[in-house]
Amino acid sequence: MAPIEGGIQRYLEELEDIPGTRVFTAARARQGYHINQFAMSLMKPANRERFKADQKAYLDEWPMSEDAKAAILARDYNRLLDLGGNIYFLLKLVSTDGLSVAQGVATMTGMGFEDYTRMMLNGGRSPAGQRSKKGGY
Amino acid sequence: MARITAGVGCSHVPLLGVAADQGKTKDDYFRPIFAGFEWTKDWESRERPDVIVLVYNDHASAFDMKIIPTFAIGCGERYKPADEGWGPRPVPDVEGHPDFAWHLAQSLVLDEFDMTIVNEMEVDHGLTVPLTMMFGQPERWPVKVVPLAVNVVTYPPPSGNRCWALGEAIRRAVASYPEDLNVQIWGTGGMSHQIQGPRAGLINAEWDNRFLDRLSGATDELRWISHIEYLRETGSEGIEMVMWLIMRGALGEQARCLHRHYHVPCSNTAIGHIVLEPGEDSA
Repeated sequence: MAPIEGGIQRYLEELEDIPGTRVFTAARARQGYHINQFAMSLMKPANRERFKADQKAYLDEWPMSEDAKAAILARDYNRLLDLGGNIYFLLKLVSTDGLSVAQGVATMTGMGFEDYTRMMLNGGRSPAGQRSKKGGY
Repeated sequence: MARITAGVGCSHVPLLGVAADQGKTKDDYFRPIFAGFEWTKDWESRERPDVIVLVYNDHASAFDMKIIPTFAIGCGERYKPADEGWGPRPVPDVEGHPDFAWHLAQSLVLDEFDMTIVNEMEVDHGLTVPLTMMFGQPERWPVKVVPLAVNVVTYPPPSGNRCWALGEAIRRAVASYPEDLNVQIWGTGGMSHQIQGPRAGLINAEWDNRFLDRLSGATDELRWISHIEYLRETGSEGIEMVMWLIMRGALGEQARCLHRHYHVPCSNTAIGHIVLEPGEDSA
């Protein structure tokens, strides 16, 4: 049985067709490997303390690009997604900063946290026009 | 003989754990969510299952990028709650059922589902939040748990059809366990949500409710929903709903809805919850 219509190339192509979304493909997983493993290290309290005491020094222990380190220091989560970061991993950094998941997530939307919260209370972001870049639906 | 007596679908939003742990379940924000679980808590206290096959996804807690198992089954004695960046949840350790879990693992492999077997791991909110929603805050959990972790983080996750078929294989495996056991299977995660990028906050209540509609009855059309449909319609993290299909597949051809609840929002997420019982198979 053919598992997917059009084969893996078509499958992967479609994953790139969603507005405002970076699906965590193998290509991103490879690119962001050390960003994600760094974030993972923040599950240990001792590592969180060491990171908070000197963030740059902690980051320098990881074989990642200066670009990635700068994005982490700036908490630029959209940039980190572009560099192969995965949100489940990056949330360890959000938690280390003492922020809630929603506070961290809101920073990626270009909305302030209050506006984001209001949008969620009003039923969330509508999928209308947000499903496909090419299709525009 | 062991038997699957019920299936439960349930979101596992971490904020629900926070609300319960900090005594906020009666707050205006959380009351309508927890109220939807009152029926189920009462029902669970009467059903008294012996063991839950708890399908969930690990959120980069037990599994990092080093090893990415598609389907992993916990065969250990017990599992501690993970520290996800703010300290472990103050909930009891989760007690496993190694004899039953190993029976499932062996049966599934012989049934051509090549499971990853895990003897030691910590469990995160994906597993402990549903326990809290169903059992509240006891000194110890009133059930044993077989954790079944599914990769929905690194693409591709398993197809909906594969998940459904795994559920069918679990049903066969449970039926061949000689000891009398009241087994429930839970599928957790979802419903629509996206927690990354500029499109974060996406909710699709209409789609979610159509999904809930089709969990009961004799239809199996949910197994054919493609990954791209979950992603487009329900947000990048809505893909977690494939895990509900393992639960549904394990209930047999027919399922009857006993309770259903849906609420928006909880944090970034639509909360969905359904209790199903297996119907009579025609076979």
